[in-house]
Amino acid sequence: MKLIACIKQVPDTTEVKVDPKTHTLIRDGVPSILNPYDQFAIEECVRIRDQIGDCSVSVLTMGPPQARSALMRCLALGADEAILISDKAFAGSDTWATAYTLSLAIKKIGFFDIVFCGQQAIDGDTAQVGPELAQQLGIPQVTYVEKIEIDNKNKLTINKQTEDGYQILEAKLPLLLTLLPPTSFQPEHPPMSSILKAKRKPFNIWDVETLGGDKSRFGLDGSFTQVIKTYTPPKRGECELIEDNPKEAAKKLSKILCKNEALTKR
Amino acid sequence: MVDYRFTEEQELFRESMKEFCASEIVPKTEKLTEVRRMPKEIIKALAKFELLGLIIDPEYGGLGTDVITAGIAAEELARADPSCSIPVLFLVGTSWGHVIDKYGTEEAKKEILPKAINGEQIIGIATTESDIGSDLGSMKTKISKKGDKYIINGEKMYISGVAEAMEYGGGHVTLAKMTPDKGTRGMCLFYLPLKDTKGITPTYVEDIGREAISCGGFDINNVEIPKHYLLGEENKGFYCVHEGYELARGLIALVCAGAASKALENGIAYIKERKAFGRHIGKYEGIQFKLAENHVRIQALRELGYKALWTYDQEIQGKASRFDVSMAIAMAKSVASIWASEAINDVMQWQGAFGYTKECEDQKAWRAVRSFTLAEGSTEIMKLIIARELLGKEFLAYR
Ligand SMILES: Cc1cc2nc3c(=O)[nH]c(=O)nc-3n(C[C@H](O)[C@H](O)[C@H](O)COP(=O)(O)OP(=O)(O)OC[C@H]3O[C@@H](n4cnc5c(N)ncnc54)[C@H](O)[C@@H]3O)c2cc1C
Repeated sequence: MKLIACIKQVPDTTEVKVDPKTHTLIRDGVPSILNPYDQFAIEECVRIRDQIGDCSVSVLTMGPPQARSALMRCLALGADEAILISDKAFAGSDTWATAYTLSLAIKKIGFFDIVFCGQQAIDGDTAQVGPELAQQLGIPQVTYVEKIEIDNKNKLTINKQTEDGYQILEAKLPLLLTLLPPTSFQPEHPPMSSILKAKRKPFNIWDVETLGGDKSRFGLDGSFTQVIKTYTPPKRGECELIEDNPKEAAKKLSKILCKNEALTKR
Repeated sequence: MVDYRFTEEQELFRESMKEFCASEIVPKTEKLTEVRRMPKEIIKALAKFELLGLIIDPEYGGLGTDVITAGIAAEELARADPSCSIPVLFLVGTSWGHVIDKYGTEEAKKEILPKAINGEQIIGIATTESDIGSDLGSMKTKISKKGDKYIINGEKMYISGVAEAMEYGGGHVTLAKMTPDKGTRGMCLFYLPLKDTKGITPTYVEDIGREAISCGGFDINNVEIPKHYLLGEENKGFYCVHEGYELARGLIALVCAGAASKALENGIAYIKERKAFGRHIGKYEGIQFKLAENHVRIQALRELGYKALWTYDQEIQGKASRFDVSMAIAMAKSVASIWASEAINDVMQWQGAFGYTKECEDQKAWRAVRSFTLAEGSTEIMKLIIARELLGKEFLAYR
C-alpha cells in the first residue's frame, strides 16, 4: 500500500505580529514551522502504515528550498521518503495552481491508495488545496476527518466532523482525506533516534522539468486568484469577560448594558 | 574560516527539544519545587524521548551522537526548567554515562547503561567528601582488593541524586584511594550502586536551589563491589574522572546560558510593559545598558560553551589534545555561573519587589545557577586550570 501526505511549511502564526498602523502581518524574523494540521496528517499516516505493514509513506510539499526543514521534520515523524517540488516557476501559485502541481507529482509517483492533507494551512486558512487536489486526481474525498480505522480488507471507516457531531463514513480506495486534530490518539514527539534516521531517508527535489505538465498552469500564470494584501481587521471594541456564577454574572451584565445604554431600566 | 552553523540534524533536534520541553517539561516545573527529588515520570519522559543515552554507544542502547547535541539538550532543558534540576539530572547522567561507556568493562556497560538509558536507574558522580572537594588528592575514602572483589570504606558528601539512586536504583561513579602515599596517582574510579547495597547509609542536605533533585551524602562501611565495576585501571582513576568532569562542565556552561537567556527574555517582556515616571522602564538607558551588557555576556558564554563541547568532540575524533579540552572547558565554566547569575539578578531587579518574591520564576533560576560556582568544580579551580595552561605546571602552587 502507498500513502502520500501533502504538507506545507508556514510561518508560526503564534509568533506573527500585526503592524498597528497598516494591519498587515509582520513576517520578518518569524520562524517557519510544519503546518500543525499537516503534522496530524503525517502522524495518522505513520500510524496506519505501522498498523497494516507492507506500506510506505511519501511526503510532498511544493515550496522554496527552505521548505526542506519541514520535510525533514516529517521524515523524523516517520515518513519514508520526501519530495520537495521546488522551482521559480511555481512562485505565486494560488490554491488551484498548487493543487495542479501536487497532482502532477502524485501522478509521477505513479500509484497510491490514500492521499492525506491537513484540513487547512494556518497561514491562509483556505482549506481548498485538499479538495481541489482530489478533483484534479479524479478521486473521492472526505474532509474534516477526525478519526480513521482501516480493516484487513483495506476498508476505511472514517469519522467526519460536522457542526453538531460527526458522521461515520465508509470508503473504498483510492481516496483523499483532509485531517483535523485527531481524537483517537495523542500526537507524540519523534524520539531522537528517528531524527537521526531522517537524514538517511530518500530526499528528492523535483523541478518544473521533472514534473512535465502544462506550463501555463503553474505559478502566477496558472492562478485564478492573487493575494493583494494580508491583514488583520482592526479591533472593533474592547472585550470584557465576566467571571462569576450565572446569577451574579447576569446581574453584572445587565448593569454594564444599562450603563452603556444598550438596555434601559423600566 | 569558522562555520558557526549547527548541522541540519542538530537544528531538527533543537526544534524537537523545544516542543518536547513545551509539552512535557514546562507544565510540570511548578510542581517540581515541592518534591526534593526528581519525579520518576520525568525521568521516564526524558528516556522515552531518548535523551538519556544521547552520546552513548548504540551497542548499549544509546544513540552515539556528538557532544554538541548533548549541549543543545542541556541548553533547552535549562530554558524550560528554571530550577535547573532536570538539566542537572541530564548533564550528570550524560557525563558519567560517557565515562562508564569509555572506561567500563563490557560486563558493567551491559549491566548499567541500558537501565540508565531507559530511565529505570540513574547515574551520578561522587568524589566530594565532608572535608575535601577541590583537593581530590586528600580524600579519605579508601578502596582495597579482596579476592575478586573490592572493599570500600569512607564517606561522600554534597552528592547530587542520592535519594533517586537509593529509591529508584542506580549508583554513582565514585573515586577512592587505593595507594594513599601516591596521592592522585593512587586512586581508583568505580561504579558504586546505592540501592539495596549493604553498608551504604544516606544522609540528606537541603540546597537553596535545584529543589527537584536530591543532594546528600552516604557513609560507605565495608561495601563490597564486584571487580568488573572498576572504571579504567587501578590507580588511574584521577585521570578518567576528569573526562567526566570536563564534559559536565561544558554542559553546565550551556545550562547557565540557557537559564540566563530565558530570564533575559522574561526581563525584556517585563521592561516593555512596566511603567515608571510615565514611561516604560525599558526606555531608560540605565536598564538598556544592563540589558545590552548581559546579552553580550550570555551570547559569549553560549559560544564559549559550544566551542568547549566542539573541542571535546574534536578530542574524541583525535583532532584535539586533552590540554585543548581542559582550557576550552575551564574558560567556559569559569564565567558561566557568575555571568548567568548576574544577568538573572538584573532581571529580578527590573521586576522590583515582585522579583524578590517566590512567585517570580527568575529567582529559581538565580538560586540554581549559583550552585555552579561550586558543583562539578569551583570557579577558582577553573581559573587555576586556565593559569596552569598559560604558565605551565611548574607554577601550580601545590606542586
Ligand atoms: C549543589 C551542589 C551539588 C553538588 N553535587 C556534587 C556531586 O554530585 N558529586 C560530587 O562529587 N560533588 C558535588 N558537589 C560538590 C562540589 O564538587 C564541590 O563543592 C566543589 O568541588 C568544591 O569543593 P568544596 O565544596 O569542598 O570546597 P573546597 O574545595 O574546600 O574549597 C573551598 C573554597 O576554596 C576555594 N579553593 C580551593 N582550593 C583553591 C585554590 N587552590 N586556589 C584558590 N581557591 C581555592 C574553592 O574554590 C572554594 O571557593 C556539589 C556541590 C553543590 C554546591
